[in-house]
Amino acid sequence: MQNLAVGVFSVLFVLLAAPLLDGVMRQVKARIHSRQGPSILQTYFDLGKLMVKEDQRAVNNTIFSLAPIVGFGAVLLAALFIPMGGVIPLGFAGDALVLLYVLTMGPICLCLGGMASGSPYAYIGVNREIMMLMMVEPVIAISLIASAVKAHSLMLADCIRQSLTGTPSYSLVICAVAFFLALQPEMAKVPFDLSEAEQEIMEGPLVEYSGRKLAMLKWSFYCKQIVLLTLFVEWFVPFPVVGSLPLRIVLTLVKVLLAAVLVEVIAQVFPRLKIAQSMRYFVSVIAFALTGLMLAVIGL
Amino acid sequence: MTTAENVLSEIQQKFPATLLKAQQPRTDRLYLTVKREEIRPLTDYLFNTLHARLILSVGTDKTPIDGNYEVSYIYSLDSRNLILLVKELVPPNDPQVPSVTNIIPGANWHEREVYDLLGIKAEGHPDPRRLVISDDWPEEVYPLRKDVPYNFRPPIVQEVKPPLREPNENERKATILSVGPFFPTLEEPAYFRLFVEGEQIVGSDYRGFFAHRGIEKLTDTVLDYNQIPFMAERICGICGFVHSACYCMAVEQAAGIEVPPRAKYIRSIMMELERVHSHLLWLGLAGHYLGFDTVLMQAWRIREPVMWLVEAITGNRKTYGLNLPGGVRRDLTPELCDQILQMIEKMEKETRELVGAAVEDHTLKMRLENVGRLSPDDARKICVVGPTARASGVDIDTRKDHPYCAFPEVQFKSALQQSCDIWARTLIRAEETFTSFDLIRQLIAKLPSGELMANVGNIPPWREGIGVAEAPRGEVAHYILTGLNNRPYRWRVRAATYPQLQAVPRMLEGMQVADFPIIVGSIDPCFSCTERVVTVDRATKTPRIYTKKDLLAMSRQRTQALR
Repeated sequence: MQNLAVGVFSVLFVLLAAPLLDGVMRQVKARIHSRQGPSILQTYFDLGKLMVKEDQRAVNNTIFSLAPIVGFGAVLLAALFIPMGGVIPLGFAGDALVLLYVLTMGPICLCLGGMASGSPYAYIGVNREIMMLMMVEPVIAISLIASAVKAHSLMLADCIRQSLTGTPSYSLVICAVAFFLALQPEMAKVPFDLSEAEQEIMEGPLVEYSGRKLAMLKWSFYCKQIVLLTLFVEWFVPFPVVGSLPLRIVLTLVKVLLAAVLVEVIAQVFPRLKIAQSMRYFVSVIAFALTGLMLAVIGL
Repeated sequence: MTTAENVLSEIQQKFPATLLKAQQPRTDRLYLTVKREEIRPLTDYLFNTLHARLILSVGTDKTPIDGNYEVSYIYSLDSRNLILLVKELVPPNDPQVPSVTNIIPGANWHEREVYDLLGIKAEGHPDPRRLVISDDWPEEVYPLRKDVPYNFRPPIVQEVKPPLREPNENERKATILSVGPFFPTLEEPAYFRLFVEGEQIVGSDYRGFFAHRGIEKLTDTVLDYNQIPFMAERICGICGFVHSACYCMAVEQAAGIEVPPRAKYIRSIMMELERVHSHLLWLGLAGHYLGFDTVLMQAWRIREPVMWLVEAITGNRKTYGLNLPGGVRRDLTPELCDQILQMIEKMEKETRELVGAAVEDHTLKMRLENVGRLSPDDARKICVVGPTARASGVDIDTRKDHPYCAFPEVQFKSALQQSCDIWARTLIRAEETFTSFDLIRQLIAKLPSGELMANVGNIPPWREGIGVAEAPRGEVAHYILTGLNNRPYRWRVRAATYPQLQAVPRMLEGMQVADFPIIVGSIDPCFSCTERVVTVDRATKTPRIYTKKDLLAMSRQRTQALR
């Protein structure tokens, strides 16, 4: 019963609060720029506007049309696999690897849609997206697996129980840092937003999308951001552990907000990197995460 | 002996049979008329032995006056403060001149422009495609010929063939990536065609001049001397003042008008204020091209007070309307001078903080170092100017080499870098901003009292004047041939972006798509400058003024129709 309630809450939360979180991040960005910035509700208005705008139908292709819908579904499914206040709605049904697959479905859909559009800008964007995926997903996988090693189980419920009850260890701290570094590209933020890079390739894979399909894609972006932030704070920063479920959820929301602000601040103090520079950077992050995994294996 | 006499005697010795006529209107000007057939050896001597730099070339239709076309190449001997004009006479029954593009690669666009506008073919040009006029313009109509009326409207053409070049051997397998004609990062229409392999750029092609409106034609048919400065100012949305000042300098030189010292100082102060806001604008844009919007917003915040100040001085944020041949129209009161000093005090502090933070930024340096390189040799051959040239180790600065206005009377050092990349261009612009603050202080301290406007009188016809000035983007040059009816017979403008854009393909070679915006941005391009744009609507004989309300209603109707 509790699982069902948390599940409904998680999905609604991800769906409805995602644009608000983006609004907050836009406000943070504006303040760093010495600007007044738009209202924190602006992203709702933007999505609403895109919803009623005409779909230009630049490309007549089934994959192109389906990609936004499947991507949107995938991210909502992911919402059911992430912990919320220490409870995982579908925790009984899957392990850490399923979560990884579900999380990767969004970017893959975006790539398929971009490829189907046939635009050279989209090709470059997809190219970059795939290369970044290959470098960033391992960081997330290694971090999750390291905590699974600590819990001696790949089941999500066991892992989360371990992070709640277990004492902090070197390996988990390292993995937490590595996971946080991977948030920047996963959330499509500067310096690693090269697959969308508006100034270079006009938002890459999104270039041919318009109207409702573009709204779906953008909305699923925002949802993905909040899913990843929630996963990060629940998995690696579950402290302090308090009693009642509603209180734990409120605490999670506050931590998500703080993490989002931090990500946005980082995005505003760096220029965008080039693909080769990003790859080099993430090779070191992978090495760093592997150190964490090794420490976990030897029990530190 | 003056430099001009020296150069003249050198040329007379080397090419005794070439020279037809020599004129020396001032110590720093030398106008030669030479035989068309022997232009190539002379050009080779000027460019390779005397190290002259090609500023611009002008084609003039003088058939109604003396039966010939004229093509002039204007060179600068930067280290010797001499501007040299080499003129060839072209008979109308054989409208061609020998091309010098193989000797000076920077002459490429100039010769194509002369062909487009006057129909004088550059014989032996390696790439004689259409450059300036639009794709649907009829082949045999040359708009700057005097027998073409200024309001000539060509017939509507159904099939248009854009003059794009075929991919060469290396580029054949590459993907074509079209950037433009409208691209979010380039605020103006310009079409770059990139040949891309993966992320790497293997070749590029450019088609611009989409906003060419033929203002040079308007000036010798419709406008008069005192109206042109206001038109000249609208050539550029950022550095318009320097264009109108440069035009006035060309006219003053041709007519032999001595500008009062106070007017000279006011012009110099305004030019330096313009440089400050232009360089800060560029710094912001460079940040934006790299996705670093914090730099964009902060740089523009720091820049804003200049715009307010200029509004207090002239009544406008841009297009100051200050220059007329003979002087300036408004004075700088002591209160305004105090305001300027106070403002630059605050701005200098803020700029220092911003530039300090940007220069220290490791990631920024990573993105800019060794990107968009232009070798000193290429920089000289393509005849680039301004910060782009100085970043490639070419030590030219018009303020120093051809002193104008009040610049001979102040002390400054022009920035120079050797690393040839965008990082160098950034450092140059940062340093120049501080130099400008310093110059403004010096100029205000020395500001002499006196008249603002010289007595101009009638401007005698058939005199030539060449004005050069250092705009924020580099040297701009205006050529004037005075005429009858109180208007010039020919006015030719060359903005700083014109040579710079010709160097962009070199900078792009081997770079990545991600570098494209910052490379094009690094020359501080001003496409409309190059194109000499003006938004004068002459489409219908009966003008209709649309109010904001009308436009709104039309826009709504259109939306309704789409639904």
